Amino acid sequence: MDIAWYLVLSAFIFCIGGAGVLTRRSPLVILICLELMLNAGNLALVAFARMTGTGDGQVFALVVMIVAACEVVVGLGLIVAMYRSHLPMDVDDMSELHG
Amino acid sequence: MTATTFGWLVLAFPLAGSIVIALGFRRLPGRTAGWIGSAAIGLAFASSIGALIDLQSHPADARTLTSSLWDYVSTAGVSAKLGILVDPLAVFMCLVVSGVSFLIHVYSVAYMDSDQGYRRYFSYLNFFVFSMLLLVLAGNFVILIVGWAFVGFASYALISFWYRRRTATHAGIKAFVINVIGDVGLVIAAILIQRGTGALDFPGVFARAGDTWGQNEWGIVAICLLILVGAFAKSAQIPFHTWLADAMEGPTPVSALIHAATMVTAGVYLIARMHPLFELAPTAADISAAIGAFTLIFAASVALVVTDLKRIIAYSTISQIGYMIMAVSIAAYGAGMFHLMTHAFFKALMFMAAGSVIAAMAGVQDIDRMSGLRRAMPFTSAAFLIAALALGAFPGFSGYFSKDEILAFAAERGGGYWILWAAGTVGALATALYAFRMIFRVFFGEPNEEARELQEGRLPHGEHVNPATGEPEDTDVGYPGPEHHIAEREAAMRGPMTILAVLAIVGGFVQIPGVTHVIEHFLDPTFADSRFIDVETSTGHEALALVAGAVSSLAGIALAWALYVRNPGTTLRLVARFPHLHGFLVHKWYFDEAYDALVVRPMLALGRGASTTFERVVIGGMASGTALAVRAGNSAVRVAQSGLLRNYALLVMTGATALGLYFLIVAR
Amino acid sequence: MLSILIFLPLLGGIISAAWPRGGDDGGWRAGYVSLLFATVTLGISIGLIADFDSKAGLQHVTDFSWISQLGIHYKIGVDGLNLFLIALTALLWTGATAWSLFRQWPRPRNYYLMLALGETAALGAFCAQDLALFVLFFDLMLVPFYFLIGIWGGERRVQATTKFVIYTLVGSFLMLAGAVATGVLAAGNGQHVTFELSELAGRHLSTGTQDWIFLFFAAAFLVKMPAFPLHGWLPDAYRAAPTPVLTVLSGVLSKVGAYGFLRIALPLYPDAAVHFQDLLLVIALVSILYGSVMAFSQDSATMVVAYSSIAQLGFITLGIFSLRAEGAQGAVLQMVNHGLVVAPLFFIIALLSARAGGTDDLRRMGGLAARAPVLAALFLIVSLATLAIPGSANFMGEFLILTGVLKAKIVYALVAGTGVALAAVYMIRLYQRSMHNPLAAGAESRELTTADGLVIVPVVAVILALALYPQFVLHRSEKAVGTVVQQPQGAYIR
Repeated sequence: MDIAWYLVLSAFIFCIGGAGVLTRRSPLVILICLELMLNAGNLALVAFARMTGTGDGQVFALVVMIVAACEVVVGLGLIVAMYRSHLPMDVDDMSELHG
Repeated sequence: MTATTFGWLVLAFPLAGSIVIALGFRRLPGRTAGWIGSAAIGLAFASSIGALIDLQSHPADARTLTSSLWDYVSTAGVSAKLGILVDPLAVFMCLVVSGVSFLIHVYSVAYMDSDQGYRRYFSYLNFFVFSMLLLVLAGNFVILIVGWAFVGFASYALISFWYRRRTATHAGIKAFVINVIGDVGLVIAAILIQRGTGALDFPGVFARAGDTWGQNEWGIVAICLLILVGAFAKSAQIPFHTWLADAMEGPTPVSALIHAATMVTAGVYLIARMHPLFELAPTAADISAAIGAFTLIFAASVALVVTDLKRIIAYSTISQIGYMIMAVSIAAYGAGMFHLMTHAFFKALMFMAAGSVIAAMAGVQDIDRMSGLRRAMPFTSAAFLIAALALGAFPGFSGYFSKDEILAFAAERGGGYWILWAAGTVGALATALYAFRMIFRVFFGEPNEEARELQEGRLPHGEHVNPATGEPEDTDVGYPGPEHHIAEREAAMRGPMTILAVLAIVGGFVQIPGVTHVIEHFLDPTFADSRFIDVETSTGHEALALVAGAVSSLAGIALAWALYVRNPGTTLRLVARFPHLHGFLVHKWYFDEAYDALVVRPMLALGRGASTTFERVVIGGMASGTALAVRAGNSAVRVAQSGLLRNYALLVMTGATALGLYFLIVAR
Repeated sequence: MLSILIFLPLLGGIISAAWPRGGDDGGWRAGYVSLLFATVTLGISIGLIADFDSKAGLQHVTDFSWISQLGIHYKIGVDGLNLFLIALTALLWTGATAWSLFRQWPRPRNYYLMLALGETAALGAFCAQDLALFVLFFDLMLVPFYFLIGIWGGERRVQATTKFVIYTLVGSFLMLAGAVATGVLAAGNGQHVTFELSELAGRHLSTGTQDWIFLFFAAAFLVKMPAFPLHGWLPDAYRAAPTPVLTVLSGVLSKVGAYGFLRIALPLYPDAAVHFQDLLLVIALVSILYGSVMAFSQDSATMVVAYSSIAQLGFITLGIFSLRAEGAQGAVLQMVNHGLVVAPLFFIIALLSARAGGTDDLRRMGGLAARAPVLAALFLIVSLATLAIPGSANFMGEFLILTGVLKAKIVYALVAGTGVALAAVYMIRLYQRSMHNPLAAGAESRELTTADGLVIVPVVAVILALALYPQFVLHRSEKAVGTVVQQPQGAYIR
C-alpha cells in the first residue's frame, strides 16, 4: 500500500487531537487529545520505518510511547490531585501564570 | 675614585639621609635629625669637591663622563638608563646646590628647633637636595624629568609643611600644579626629541640634533618652546610665576634653599644644559630672553609695593632669575651661571636674615609693623645689609660683577639685544630701590615694640596666628613651635650666615671683567660646542655695563634713602596720587585673578556642570532609557502571557504550522 | 600547573564555605582558609614570574580538547601579556581577602566563596587561550560580583547591582555573539571550527565581518573598563561595593577589558583595529578628559578615585590603539601599575572614612595626617604614583603610551598631555583635602593598625620596587606585545 495513506491517516488523527486540545476545556479530555496527537506521530514514525526498511523509526516510536506513558502518569496524577482539592476542572479558570 | 663614582656618592648621601630620618622619626632625639641631615649634605658637598678635583685632572676635551647603573627602560626603541652625566656644568651646579644646602641645613638645625615636625622637615629637606642633585646630574631626559618632578614634589611638601594652615596648603597645590604643567611640557618635549633623534641621553641627542633639524626649523623651535614651559614653570617666569610668592608660606629656610638659591634656578640650568638645541632654534632662545627681561622688570615693579617681607624677597628672586634666563638665552652661559652662584649666596643670606627678623617679630612678616631693629639685632642687620648691597649690585659686591657681565654680553650681541640691556639696567635701578626699601624700613627708624623688648633682652613669643589671615594657629602639628630662634642667640644660625656674607662680598672676585675668568674657563668644556663660545665682550661694552650698573645701583640706593629716610611720607603721597597704578602693582598685575577667571573657575564649573547635568541626564538617561525600553518591551510581551493553556497551545500550533509551511515553500 | 593556579582559590572558597559553623568566630576561620589558599596562589604566580622565559612565547600551556564537536579547547598559558596581570590578580585578591578577614561580614562563608570564585574567574580569563574559554570565564566573573555587591554592598546596592548587571550583560551577549561568529566564520571551506586563539589568528576574516565583530567585542570591553560613555554603572557600583570587592573590581576587573583588546581584538581583527583606530582613540581621549574633570569636581573620595580610573583606563586604551609597540608596552605596564595603586587607594579611603566619622565626603575630612605619619606617608606615595609622578612606574607607562600615540597620531598625544596635568590636580587635591588643612569637626586622626598595614604595605613596596626598575615588566612583556601589534601594523601598511 502507498505510504501516503498512512500519512494521511496520521495527519487526520493529529488534527483531531490538535482541535481537541484547542477547543475542549476539561483537562482530562485535553490529556486524551494529547495522547491522540502523540499516537498520530507514532503512526507516521512506524510508517516511515516500514518505508526505509530500518528499525530506527520503530525505536523512536517506542521511546515516544514511554514518554507518553510517563506523561499520562503525571498528568492523571495532577488531575486527580486537582479533583481532590476541589479545584475547578476547567483549564481556562487556571491562569496562575498570567504575566 | 672617578668623578662618576663621586657623582653617585653625591646622590647617595642625601637620599640615605632622607630615608634614615624618615624611618627613624620616632627614635631620633632632639636635634639629632637635623645634624644627620646636615652631615648627609656636607658629605654630598665633599663628594662634589671630589668630583671637581677628579674632573680637572682630565684633559679639557674629555670632561664629559657618563655612568649608569641599569636599564631603566629599554623597549621598542625607547631606551633610557639609570645614568648620570658628570661634566663641568653638572659639577658646578652640584657644588652650588650642596654647598648652599649644607649651610641652610645647619641654619635650620637651630631655626626649626621647637617645631613639631622637626624630623619630617629634615627628611623632606634632604629629599629635596637629593632630587635637585639628581636633576643636575641626570644623564638623559628620563632621569632629568624624574629629578625635575621630585624637586617639584619636595617643594610642594615643604611649602605645605605647616599643613594645618589653609593658606599653606593652597600655596602648595598651586606650586605643585604649575610645576606639573612644566613637567608635562618637558615630557612632551622629550618624546618629540626621542621621535626626532631616536635617543634620550644627552650626548646622543646633542650629537644628532644638528642632522635631524635644520637651523630654526619649526620642529626644533616647538621642542625648545616646550622645554621653556618646563623651565619657566620651575623658575617662576611669566606666565608661570604666580606660585613662587605664595610659596613663602613654607618655613623661611625652605624659602632660602628652594625658592631662592636652588630649585628655582633649575630652569636656568636646563636652558644652559640644552644649549645645543636652543642654538638650533634662535627664535625660541629670543622668546626666552624677551620673557626673562619682561619678567625681571615686572617682578621688580611688584617688589616695590609689596609689604610682606618674604614676598618682597620672593619677587626679587623672580626678577633676578629673569636676569639669569635672559643671560643663558642670549648664550651668555658663563655669565648666567655666575649670576646663579652669586645670587644663591646673597639671596640665601637675605632669607636667613629675614628668618631671624621674623622670629624676632614672633612670626610677623609685614614690614609696615617693623621698624628700627638695627640696634636690637646688630648681626642680622649687618647680614641683611651685605645681602642687600650684593643684590642691589653695589660696586665691589658679588652681584655687581655677575649682573654687569650679563649686561655686557647683551650689549655685545648688539641690535635688538640692546633692549634687553636697557631692561636689565632699569631693573638694576629698581632692584637697588626695593632692596634698600627693606633695609631702611625694617632696620632704620624708631625702634618698635619688639625691637625695644629685644634690646632689653626679651625675645617676644606672641600668639600663634597665621600671618597671612590672622587665624589662630594649630600648634599641634608644627608651626614654629613655642620658641623662636634668632641669629643673635644661635651659633648654628650665625655660622652659615657669616660664611654666606663673606661669599656675598668676595664671590664676585672670581670673575672680574678683564681680570679673572675662573668660572668661564671652568665651564668652557661644557659649552665648547656653542657657536658663541668665542664671543668675547669688548672692553668698551664691559666698561659701559660697569659704569651703568654702578650708576643705577647708587641711584637706586639714593632714591630709597630719599623716599624712606629723608621724606618718609613721600610714598604715601605717591600712592594717593596714583591709586590705580598702585593697585595694579599690589595685585601683581592681576595675573592670579586672570588665571582664576580664565582657568580655575571654568574647569570647576565644567566639572560640576558635568556631574549635575551631563552625568545625570545623559549617562543616567542611558541607563534609565535601557530600563524603560526593557519595560516597554516587557509590557508588550506580557499580553501574550495570558496564563490560558489553550492560548499557549494555539500559539505553539500556529508556530509549528508556520514553520512547516515555510519549509514546504523553501523545499520547493 | 596553571590549572592549579586558577582553581586553587575556588577550592579554598569551597572549603571555607563548607567550614563547620563551630563557635562564634564570625567566620574568622573560614576566611583564614580562604586567605591561605589565596596566598598560595600568590606564591605560585610569583613562581611563574621567576620561571618566566622572556624569549619564549606561550609557556606552561595546558591544552586538551574540551568540546571537540565545537572545536573548543581547554587551553591556558602564560606569556608576557598576562604574566603580571595574573600576579596582580593574585596579589590584590590576597590583599582583599586579608582585609576582609579583619572585618565582620554577615554570612561570612558565602562571602568568602564568592570572593574566591571571583578570583578563579579572573585568573581564568587572563590565562585562557581559547576564545570560548575566555568568554566563559569573562561571564563567570559577573556572577560572584553580582552577589558580592548585591548582598554585602552598602546603600542602594540593589539598584547598583541591577545597573552593573544590565550593562555588563549586554556587553557579554554582544561578545558571545561575536565569539561564535568568529569561530564559525573563520572556518573556511574544509576547515573545522575552532576557537583556539593562536589558530584563529592565523585565519583571516573578511574586512566587513571583522568590523562588526570588533565592535561587539569593543563594546563588551569598554563597558568592563569602563570607558566614556559606557561608564553609567560605575558610580553606583563603586559607591555600593564593599571595600575589598571594590579594590578587585577596580584593580583587576577593569584590566580584563583592556587585556581583552590586546589578547583578542588586536590579533583577531587587525583590519578592524586599524579601521576603528580613530574612534577608539577619541573614546580614550574623551575618557581621560571627562574622567579627570569629573574627578576634579567630586566631593566623595571614592568617586574621585572612581573617575580617575576612567581616566587611567583611557590612557591604557590610548596606548593600545596607538597600535605601536611603545604604546602597547606602556599600556601593559600601566595596567599593572593602575591595579597596584588603585587597590591601596581604596583601602586607605576606607581607613580615612572610618576616621572621619564614616563618611568619604572630602568636605568632612581634613587634617588626618597629624597623628598618623605612617598612614600619611603611604597615602602620599600611592597618590604620587597615581598621578604618575616621574620616577614612578606609572610615569614610565604614560611616557611610553604618549610616545606611541605621538608617533602614531600627534594631536591625540598633545591633548592627552593635559590629562596628565589634570591627574596631578585631582590627586593632590584628594590628598590635601583629606590629610591636610585644619582638622575637620567629627574627624579623628589615628594611625593605621598593624593588620591594615600588613595589607597596604606590601602593595606599596611593589609600587616602589617597580618605580626603581620598570624594565622588569617591560622586558618580559616585550615579545608578546610585539606579536600583538605586528598584525595591525601589517594592516596599517596595507
